Amino acid sequence: MKRYLVLEDGQQYVGEAFGADVVATGELVFSTGMSGYQESITDQSYNGEILMFTYPLIGNYGMNRDDSESITPTCRGIVVHELARRSSNWRADLSLDDYLKQHQIPGISGIDTRAVTRHIREKGALKATLVNEVTEETVAQLQATILPTNQVATSTTQTPYPSPAMGRKIVVVDFGLKHSILRELNQRQCNVTVLPATATAADVLALYPDGVLLSNGPGDPKAVPSALAMIREVERSVPVFGICLGHQLFALANGADTFKMKFGHRGFNHPVREIATGRIDFTSQNHGYAVERQSLAATELMVTHEEINDQTVEGLRHRQYPAFSVQYHPDAAPGPHDAAHLFDEFMDLIDTHKLTAQERNRHHA
Amino acid sequence: MAREIIDAMTMRRVLTRITYEIIEKNKGVDNLVFVGIKTRGIYIAQRLATRLAQLENIEVPVGSLDITLYRDDYHAASVTADPDVKAADIPVDITGKHIILIDDVLFTGRTVRAALDELMDLGRPAKISLAVLVDRGHRELPIRPDFIGKNIPTSLDEQVHVEVSEVDGHDSVTIEKLTK
Repeated sequence: MKRYLVLEDGQQYVGEAFGADVVATGELVFSTGMSGYQESITDQSYNGEILMFTYPLIGNYGMNRDDSESITPTCRGIVVHELARRSSNWRADLSLDDYLKQHQIPGISGIDTRAVTRHIREKGALKATLVNEVTEETVAQLQATILPTNQVATSTTQTPYPSPAMGRKIVVVDFGLKHSILRELNQRQCNVTVLPATATAADVLALYPDGVLLSNGPGDPKAVPSALAMIREVERSVPVFGICLGHQLFALANGADTFKMKFGHRGFNHPVREIATGRIDFTSQNHGYAVERQSLAATELMVTHEEINDQTVEGLRHRQYPAFSVQYHPDAAPGPHDAAHLFDEFMDLIDTHKLTAQERNRHHA
Repeated sequence: MAREIIDAMTMRRVLTRITYEIIEKNKGVDNLVFVGIKTRGIYIAQRLATRLAQLENIEVPVGSLDITLYRDDYHAASVTADPDVKAADIPVDITGKHIILIDDVLFTGRTVRAALDELMDLGRPAKISLAVLVDRGHRELPIRPDFIGKNIPTSLDEQVHVEVSEVDGHDSVTIEKLTK
């Protein structure tokens, strides 16, 4: 069955349908990773987006029970160059095609995804639709479509839940959490409670956390204004670690600004420099927005990490409070583990803060 | 057998964190002077200063104190003679400055006391803080660090070795049980 990928500027590409037989509309984004499509498809940061892979063969190792980053994927559609006819891997439980059918996500194959990527890189982010038939109105309809901005509300958990262990008490505020963040915390014996994105500072502090992690998530950070007051209150007394959307919200809460990038960073080979030491980490990234560097001058934040290709702000640290954030994914999944040490950093920050807090209390006793 | 307790990567991370903490606990870093104690403390001080220069574009003066310890080969907790200051090389007048005294290992506290004496002879700093890469406990004087890389509980018959690439060719901290 034929299927069409139509862009809002009128570009059309014809390909072969796979996955669910439904129409999808969303922003078309590209990921440059060579593998890890399962993690990407289930990453809530792609909520509302049509995800295109530049790597030419997708689906070759199927989908397995272990590598998902969320229970219900929320990306709108999948665009690939070649879909593997059959998956071949000892871990594979089902094919990508069957997985997408199960989750009502349409796919299209036979697209020259690298050519489309070059097109997006020139034009900037574009709305796109996957349809089985192109009519005269398709493009006009697409242009008139206003994409939803409430992706965080549809990705976050609706109710709090625990991920218990016997170590440090961590509250994770879920803006579209990747499971790998919980895996990293569990690996360090953290006693985790996950709260919905709407959690207030009182909700967070009522759990007496040792540290608070602001998770990754989809969309524009300015669409989640309710989180800012929470962050401002929490960072005054508890160590905070922000990842991806959590990083952008941490910046906004402290008076910085964010902007929509031309075509974002999505892939696992983004080199990031740690400014203090000059060390380069290769990082997994997925963001369409970024923190405006100029806007940091008037804040208490300092830049700790930057992308070396385009100097995007990739990490921040508060000058007064034990709080830091990174734009990339130290939890990898998919991608290199270069930056996993940031979770150890968070643990150290928590321990140091505890010591100084104890000392302060002793002096006041 | 010596056991590695801090590898190169962790040492890098720990020194970066101490730099952030120094920024966090000092509103403004203009008044700072770093003073490293004897061999390895000096290199640690220089690394902290480099990080601060990269982050905040500020050149913090780095000085050094050379303190000779009259010690046996193994670190018995009670050292008969107190450490002695041999030479100080500090490029600025320390009066009114906030000095961060930097050493690799904090043990009995006697080295730090000798360093404090020396600093007091040189001028009247507004404040002195202490940063150490490793705090191994067993203090004999009322001294506590403000910035700690790692707390490493030790017994008295253990020895902590800090190696830095500037002198030893690589970065690591090891702990070794001494056999008498």
